[in-house]
Amino acid sequence: MREILVLAEHRKGVLRDITWEMLSLGKELAEKMEAQLTTVLPGYEVKSLADELSTQADLVLLVEDERLQNFSSMAYQQVLSTLITTRKPIITLIGHTACGIDLAPGLAAALGMPLATDCLSLTLTEKELTAVRQIYGGKVNAEVACSCEKGCIATIRAGVVSPWGEETRKGKVEVIQSPSLEGISRQRFIEYVEAAIGGVDITQADIIVAIGRGIQDKENIPLAEELAKALGGTLACSRPIVDKKWLPKAHQVGTSGKTVRPKAYIALGISGAFQHIVGMKDSGVIIAVNKDPRAPIFEVADYGIVCDLFDFMPVLKEKAKELLQRR
Amino acid sequence: MKTTITSITKKQTLAQEYDLLGCMQCGKCTAACPVAMRSHLNIRKLMQEALTHESLNPIPMKELWDCTCCSTCTIYCPRELKPNELIINLRGILVEEGHVPTTIRDALESVFKQGNPWGGAKNKRAEWATDLHLKDATRDKEIEVVYFVGCTPSYDPRVQEVARALVKSFNKAGVNFGILGNEERCCGNEVRRMGEEGLFEILIEDNTNVFQKLDVKTMVTTSPHCYNTFKNEYPETHFEIQHYTQYVANLIATGKLTFCGEVDKVVTYHDPCFLGKQNKVFDAPRSIIDSIPGVKFIEFDRSRERSLCCEGGGGRMWVDASDSGERLAEVRVRDAVEMGVQIILTACPFCLLNLEDATKTIGYEDKIQVMDIMELVSQVI
Repeated sequence: MREILVLAEHRKGVLRDITWEMLSLGKELAEKMEAQLTTVLPGYEVKSLADELSTQADLVLLVEDERLQNFSSMAYQQVLSTLITTRKPIITLIGHTACGIDLAPGLAAALGMPLATDCLSLTLTEKELTAVRQIYGGKVNAEVACSCEKGCIATIRAGVVSPWGEETRKGKVEVIQSPSLEGISRQRFIEYVEAAIGGVDITQADIIVAIGRGIQDKENIPLAEELAKALGGTLACSRPIVDKKWLPKAHQVGTSGKTVRPKAYIALGISGAFQHIVGMKDSGVIIAVNKDPRAPIFEVADYGIVCDLFDFMPVLKEKAKELLQRR
Repeated sequence: MKTTITSITKKQTLAQEYDLLGCMQCGKCTAACPVAMRSHLNIRKLMQEALTHESLNPIPMKELWDCTCCSTCTIYCPRELKPNELIINLRGILVEEGHVPTTIRDALESVFKQGNPWGGAKNKRAEWATDLHLKDATRDKEIEVVYFVGCTPSYDPRVQEVARALVKSFNKAGVNFGILGNEERCCGNEVRRMGEEGLFEILIEDNTNVFQKLDVKTMVTTSPHCYNTFKNEYPETHFEIQHYTQYVANLIATGKLTFCGEVDKVVTYHDPCFLGKQNKVFDAPRSIIDSIPGVKFIEFDRSRERSLCCEGGGGRMWVDASDSGERLAEVRVRDAVEMGVQIILTACPFCLLNLEDATKTIGYEDKIQVMDIMELVSQVI
């Protein structure tokens, strides 16, 4: 039977989101190609993860070995190349994550297979894989094609496919003997280093509510904070707010702070000095609220609202809550 | 022992390179340093450490990025040493070793890729002037003056107004001028001061190649920073380099630029460090202001050589001070308000931005205005 193979990625006993996203994509491809959706789970003492995976795959190939406890591109390459060589899937999906970036090119080279990296979407036919991937720093989406007659590999960008979320399959779990894993000793897992906690990372936020001098008083900051929370966003600010020590430096957007590209940037009472605009102009949608219709922030805003932010904030907050409840 | 790039290429210790044995530790540098008012940066101590250690490890010295390269320390040194250059050298080591604040890194990368530190696209550099239909100095062989606009006046909408005001005065006075358009790129003054000597050399080479093709008598810059590096750090050019205040003062003195209105305001002038302290251009801007009809001019107490830095130089537009005392620009604005000034005039894009920002952050925007000299001039010509 034809097969679509997905590499399950996990860390510290938890399957990563990218795995579910790839299974969702894999399901679509499998239905179209009338193929079986199979996922490979290399690891050690990860039976429970295999059971989780079986709810969304036809077959889970569990490869357990102490040496596979933590990700190692060398060990993973051996596991996958053995499986791909024997099973000959039409396509193997790997996450375009730190691990996937490390693993996929070497694997493709070793197998002599075509590889499409950082793909946004895939179209598969009997003979050809067509992938959409970005070039020129994300300004152009390019369609690239390669032959998949002898198999191919694609790495998938995180967050571009929605996971199904519910049980779609009742797959079985098959335990596979780990390959000999020779020569992997050159690579050794040392430790996981967590990103420093302490403050927010506004560069990772999808929605940013940013405040400027228009907030007037430190006492008013919780109002903006509540709005950010209601929208599922993060609070950021312009430089004067940090100068006044109303918010920590980690919240500052601009040339001497952070450059952000959220999906939505809501600027409240920020006049929009160039030094601030440089740090946020590439946001998806910019919504500016300012009393002054001549404020330069309106030059870059997609939506401009001339009003007092204290009138605006409660209204948007209520709307956001309403919408969330309806969901 | 850590080997620094300096010691490899020049085979000199810091003490030899900066003549530190001449330092008598009098401390005038630190006493004069404007940034010392709000930072741990202690240039006297740094001079001593550089003298007594064969090489310094600057990696833990976060305060090195506080320096605005205003050069006050260097001007005040009775032994004519160059403490400011020592800081630039140490920043160079930080750049070589990759220990730079991310915002500085981004600004430098933008200069490398786009020819400006503001992240603006290279081919949009001249967009501000689209409706002005200016001559292209790289093609037009008839022009006499090339106007070097600079990065900030090209990209920052606030400072574009200054460039427009200058263009208006040039047109009014019948100056035959052109700009370099998209062939203009960063002068590198700040790049060098952020420690990226290699990138600075590339910029010198690129700009010099463009300059050589020009058949002009004079180059006029908006920014004192461009003026400073072209005049003092670039290979000699076949044309004269002037800051716009010098050129415009002459247009007024020779009767080519005349006024047709009055400004009934009390004004003062903030000396930009790269124009005043470092290049001794004190009188040209004052003579322009004096010639504007109706203006009442008063001096800051801290003026000319003693002018208080706005904290915009040396890469500080892209990184904040490590300590958080009151910004010097805020001190400056408060001083001006106390003097009863209605407009602070200046002649530098960075000073303009920092001072104007300070009027907002201390809530004085209704009490006082900040303008470039050219903006006031263009109101009455």
